[in-house]
Amino acid sequence: MFKAIEVLQPNFIQRPLNELWQLISPLYKMDEEKWLKELLPLAKPTDEALADHTNAASKLIAEVRNDDDSMSMIDALLLEYSLDTKEGILLMCLAEALMRVPDKETADAFIKDRLSVADWASHAKNSDSFFVNASTWGLLLTGKIVTMDENQDGTPANLVNRMVNRVSEPVIRKAMNQAMKIMGHQFVLGRNITEALSRGKSYRDKGYTYSFDMLGEAALTAADADKYLKSYEQAVESVGKDTYSKGHRPTISIKLSALHPRYEVGCEERVMTELFDSVKGLITKARALNVGITIDAEEADRLELSLHLFEKLYCDEATKGWGLFGIVVQAYSKRALPVLVWLAALAKQHGDRVPVRLVKGAYWDSEIKLCQQRGIDGYPVYTRKESTDVSYLACAHFLLSEHTRANIFPQFASHNAHTIATINCIATQLGATTKEFEFQRLHGMGDALYNRLIKDSDICVRIYAPVGSHKDLLPYLVRRLLENGANSSFVHRLIDASYPIADLIDHPVTTLESRKSLANPHISLPSSLFDDRKNSFGPNIEIGSDWAPFKAKIDVFMGQDTQWRAFPIVGGEKVETGHTHAVLSPYDHSESAGQIDWADTTTVTKAIDLAESAFPAWSTRPATERADCLDKMADLMEENYAELMALCHREAGKTIQDSIDEVREAVDFCRYYAQQARSHFATPATYTDFLGQEKHAKLNGRGVFTCISPWNFPLAIFTGQIVAALVVGNTVVAKPAEQTSLIAFRAIELLHQAGVPADVLHLLPGDGATVGAPLTSDKRIAGLAFTGSTGTAQLINRTLAARGVAPVPIIAETGGQNAMLVDSTSLPEQVVRDAVRSAFASAGQRCSALRVLFVQEDIADRVIPMIKGAMQEQSVGLPYLHSTDVGPVIDKKAQTMLLEHIEHMTKEAKLIAQSELPAFANKGTYVAPTAFEIASIDQLTDEKFGPILHVVRYKARDLDKIIDTINNSGFGLTLGVHSRNETTCARIASRARVGNLYINRDQVGAVVGVQPFGGQGMSGTGPKAGGPHYLQRFAIEQDL
Amino acid sequence: MTIVQPIQIQVAQKVFESWDKIGVNGRAEKLLNTLVSFSNEEKKMAAWQINNAQKEIAETRVMPGPTGERNELSNQGRGPFLCMSFVESDKAKVGLVGQVFTALIAGNPVITVGPTGQEIMDLISPFVPEGVIQNIAESAQDSLIEANHLAGIATLCDPMQAQLLSQRLAAKGGLICQLIEEVDSENLSVIAKPHYLLRFVTERTVSNNTTAIGGNATLLELGSMND
Repeated sequence: MFKAIEVLQPNFIQRPLNELWQLISPLYKMDEEKWLKELLPLAKPTDEALADHTNAASKLIAEVRNDDDSMSMIDALLLEYSLDTKEGILLMCLAEALMRVPDKETADAFIKDRLSVADWASHAKNSDSFFVNASTWGLLLTGKIVTMDENQDGTPANLVNRMVNRVSEPVIRKAMNQAMKIMGHQFVLGRNITEALSRGKSYRDKGYTYSFDMLGEAALTAADADKYLKSYEQAVESVGKDTYSKGHRPTISIKLSALHPRYEVGCEERVMTELFDSVKGLITKARALNVGITIDAEEADRLELSLHLFEKLYCDEATKGWGLFGIVVQAYSKRALPVLVWLAALAKQHGDRVPVRLVKGAYWDSEIKLCQQRGIDGYPVYTRKESTDVSYLACAHFLLSEHTRANIFPQFASHNAHTIATINCIATQLGATTKEFEFQRLHGMGDALYNRLIKDSDICVRIYAPVGSHKDLLPYLVRRLLENGANSSFVHRLIDASYPIADLIDHPVTTLESRKSLANPHISLPSSLFDDRKNSFGPNIEIGSDWAPFKAKIDVFMGQDTQWRAFPIVGGEKVETGHTHAVLSPYDHSESAGQIDWADTTTVTKAIDLAESAFPAWSTRPATERADCLDKMADLMEENYAELMALCHREAGKTIQDSIDEVREAVDFCRYYAQQARSHFATPATYTDFLGQEKHAKLNGRGVFTCISPWNFPLAIFTGQIVAALVVGNTVVAKPAEQTSLIAFRAIELLHQAGVPADVLHLLPGDGATVGAPLTSDKRIAGLAFTGSTGTAQLINRTLAARGVAPVPIIAETGGQNAMLVDSTSLPEQVVRDAVRSAFASAGQRCSALRVLFVQEDIADRVIPMIKGAMQEQSVGLPYLHSTDVGPVIDKKAQTMLLEHIEHMTKEAKLIAQSELPAFANKGTYVAPTAFEIASIDQLTDEKFGPILHVVRYKARDLDKIIDTINNSGFGLTLGVHSRNETTCARIASRARVGNLYINRDQVGAVVGVQPFGGQGMSGTGPKAGGPHYLQRFAIEQDL
Repeated sequence: MTIVQPIQIQVAQKVFESWDKIGVNGRAEKLLNTLVSFSNEEKKMAAWQINNAQKEIAETRVMPGPTGERNELSNQGRGPFLCMSFVESDKAKVGLVGQVFTALIAGNPVITVGPTGQEIMDLISPFVPEGVIQNIAESAQDSLIEANHLAGIATLCDPMQAQLLSQRLAAKGGLICQLIEEVDSENLSVIAKPHYLLRFVTERTVSNNTTAIGGNATLLELGSMND
C-alpha cells in the first residue's frame, strides 16, 4: 500500500506519471482502518498547532454568531425546517416536484398528500427570516387568504388539514407555487447567466467572485447534452463579456454527465472522442475569453474516467499553458490523495498549475447504497464524517505544501468554520500566502462565515452558483441538499445559537482517534449486510483495479479453444447417450461453446430410480448437514466465478453485469436457503393444537422432486430450485433448459463437489418430449418446481394430475404482462432511466421485465421523446463487452416470434423508436430494442419475452380503470410505480394484484432474501423464491 | 369468446378487494364475533385458525437489505375459494369449519356447498360484508369448479376424489387453481397444522426506493454517530 506521508517529500511528485497513476485505483475500496492510519499523520496537528486551530475556529464561530445578519436565507430555512423533521423532508419533497407538475388535478392531489401529514402551523412565525415565513405562510395558504382563529380552528396540528380541505384547490395551488418560486429564487442565482451576473453584483461588491454552473439532471439523450452544451457556451460568452473589473474573474463549472448521454466507463471510447470534442470546444471558447473552466466531480465510478479525460484535455494544444482549466476532487473518496498527487505531477510535467477545488463530496449516501446493492467488497468513501474531515485536512496539507503550490492552485470548498480556520492555520504554518489559494462556498449557504472571513482577510472567496430555470434546477438542488443536509451538519449547528461553541471545535483527528474503531461499525460492509448469512460478492466493472484482474480470469475461458463437454449426470456418472448437440453462442452462431449429450428415456428412468432409493437416507440426514452442502456450493461458485461468467456469456448471451448478477443470485439462494433450513428444519417446532394439546411438528422432505428451469436465469433459477428441494430433504431430478445445459452441468458438478451425494441429485438435459414428459408423468415424482411460460406450467400440471396418484405440490413461476405506472409528479429523467432498464436490460428476457409503460398524458410528450432519445443511445452488441447494453436473444425461435410481433405492431401501433443493430447482428440472434405507442393494453394478447416496450397514455382520472385493466389481464408478476405522491403509491399498492411492486425505481433484479420474487394469478402459484415461505412448500409438515 | 362466470364468482370477486384490504386483524375482529354459535370443537378450530393467522401472517415483514430502500413482504388472499366436504361426520364438519375460517382469515371470499355449507354460512354471514361468504347447492358445485376465476378449492375427501378433483382443476385454462385437500378427515392431520394457512395466501413484496428524491436521513445519522 502506498505510504501517504511520503507525499510530503518534494520529490514524490517527480516520479513517473504512470507510476503515480497506479496508486489511485487500488485505493477504491481499500480497508478503511488501514488507510486512515496512513492518512492520520498528514492531518494530525502538533499540540501547539492544535491549540492554534481550536482558538481560530472558536473565534471565527463567536464572531459569526455575533454578526446581526449572520443567517442566510437557506440557512434560516434549514434551521426552521430541519431535515430530520417530517416537515423539513415534506417541504423539500414539494419543492422537488411541484413546479414540474403540469396538470392541476395531480398538483392538487400532491399538495394535499404532502400537507396533510405534517404540522406546518407550528413553524409559522418561529423564524425571523422573511423567506422562511414566506414559505411557511405559503404553506399555510397565507394569512390574507385564511384568517386563523385558534379558538375556532383548534390545535395547529389539525388546522392545516382542515384548511387544505376547506380552501378551494386553485387558491392552495397558487399559494404553494408561490412558495416554491420563493424557494427557487433562493436556491438559484439566476434563470440565465445575465440574470445571475446581475444578481451576483452585490456579492462581488463585497469582494466575492463566482463559479457559475448550468446545473441540472444528467443528459439522457444527445438532444439534452446538446442543449446543456449550448447553455455552457452562452455562459462562457456572457462571463467573457462581463465588464465588472473589481476582484477575481468568475469561472464556469461544468458537469460532464450533462454534456454526454453516456458519460460512463463502458463508453470510454465515446467519452474520449465525442465528449472530449465538446469540452475542448468549450475550453477553446473559454480560453479566448479568459473564463476559467472547472470540471465537477460526480459519482465514484466515474472518477478514473474523468481523470483520463482531464489528462487528454489538459495535454491538448487548446489547453496547454492556460492555467485556468481545473478539476474538483472529493475528500470523502479514499482515492483523493493519490489523485491530487497525480494532478500535481501532471501539472509539474507541463510546467503549469491546475486549479483544484477540494470538496468533501455530495454523493455519500448513494455511494454506500450502490456498493451494498452490488456486493462490492468495500466502500470508495469513508464511513464516518470525521474521517472525511481528516482526509480533507490531509489533502489540504499536501495541497498547501510548498512543492505542490507551484503546480496546484487549491480552492477549498467548505461551510465548516473549523475546517476554514484550520486551513488558514495550515497555510500560515506552511508559508502559503492568501494569493496562493482560495475558498469556495455554495450560493445561499455559509454567508455569515465568509462575510466575516472576507472582512478579516484579503483571501479570494468564490461562490458556486447554480444558474437555470427554477423548474429544472430546484429538483436537482433539493436532492443534493437532502443528500447532505443531516441535522448534524455543521451548517445547521453553526447557526443554532443554542449549540455550544466548544462542541463545534473538536479537531476531526481528535474525534476520530477517540472512536473505538476508525471504520464506522454502524455501517456494515456489503459482505456483512445480513446478520445471519454472508452476502454474495460482485466485482465493480467500472473500476480498473477491481475489474481488470477479474476480467483476465474470465478471458481464460473466452477463447474458442475452451469448449465445454457436458452429459447427463446420473448417480454421479456422466452418461454418454450419443444424442450429442452443439451449443452455439447466441451472439455468433459460428462460435461454439461446447457440446452436450441429451438424456434418453432409459437415463431418465435410471435417475428417478436412484433418486427414489436415495430419499430415505438423505431425508433423515440432519438439516444442518444438508445446509452445509449449500454453503459449500455458494463458496464453490464464487471460486469458479470466472468460468461461470464465461458460460453466461458464451452459452446464454448474457452481458457482463447480468452475468455477475446471475452468479450472485445463485450464491445468495444457496446461503439464504441454508440459513432458512437451519432455522426452521433442524429441530421440530412445538405448537398447541386447536384442542389445546401441545404437539411437535417437523418439516420433512416429500420424496423425488423434479426441477425444470428456464434459460433466462440458467444458473440462478436452476440452482435455486434444486437447492431448495435438496435442503428440505428431497432428492432431485433436474431438467435444465435445452439452450443452457452447459452451465447446468457445471452447477451439478459443483453441487456434488459440495457434498450432495451422487445418488441424490441427477442432471437430465434434453427436450420436453424425451425428458420433460417422463419427469412429469412418473408416479414417483413427489413434487415439482417449474419456471417458464404459463402454457407450459398448465401442461405440466395436467400431466402431473393425470398420473392417478395423490396430488403433489407444483411450484410454478410463470410469465407476466408487467406494467409501470407513471404520474406527472415523477421525475422524467428517473422514469426514463428506469423504464429503459426495466424493458431492455437482458434484452427484455426477464420474467419481471417491463412490457407496458403507462404514462399520464400530461407528461407523455416530455417522456416519450426522452425514451426515444435514450433508446438511440443504447448499444446492442457482443455481450462480453463492457460497452454493450443489450445482447442477443436466446435463439432463432425467440427471435422469430419477437420479429413477428414487431412487424405486427408496426402496422397496428405507432413506432416510437428502435435502437440500432450492429453490423454483425445477422451472425447471431439479435432483436433491436423497440418501443411502440399503443392505445390500450388490450391490444396485447400475451407476453412477448424480449426487448419490446409498449407505451400507453392515460388520463389522471382514469388511474383506477388502468389498475383494473392490469388486474383483469390475469397476470400479476411485477408492477412499477413512479410518483412523488405517497397517497397515489399507497393506492396503487393496495389495489394492484401483483407479486412484486416497485416504487420509484426499476422493476427488475429482485434480490434473494430482500425482495422475495414471484407472481400471483396466471403469473405463478407461489410461494416466492428467495422468501421465508418457499422451503415449506417443498416439505410435508408431520407431527412427531 | 366471452366466458360467463357463475354469479357467485362474480359476487366473490367484487367483494374480494375490500375483504382482503381489511387485513388479518380486521378480519379477525369480525370473524371472532361469529364463533359464539358454533359447536365447541368447531369453535376451537375456528379460533385456532384465526389466532394462527394473527401470529403467522398479520404483520408486514420488513426485509433486511441495502440502505436507502424499504422492502416489505406481506400476505394477501388469493381470490374466491370453494370450501366443501365429501365426507359427512362431526369431525369432518370441524375440518370444514377450519377450512372456511382459514380461507376467510387469509383474505379470501368463500363459497360453501350444500346444507352443511349453508349452516356454516348462516352463522358467519351476519358478521361479514355481504358476498364474503356464499353458499351454493350441490347441483351448482360443478359449474363453480369449472369457473375460471376460482382461486382454490379446500376440501375434505378421500384420495380418489382428490385425484379426480386435481385432474378437473388442471384441465382448466387460466391460473393454476389450488387444491388444498384433507384426506384424513378423522385426524385432520393437514388442516390443524401451523403452515396449512400458507396455502391460502399469496405473498406480495413492495420495494420502495426511499431515496428517490434524494437523501437518506437514516444513513446520514449512522455516518455521524458517536460511539
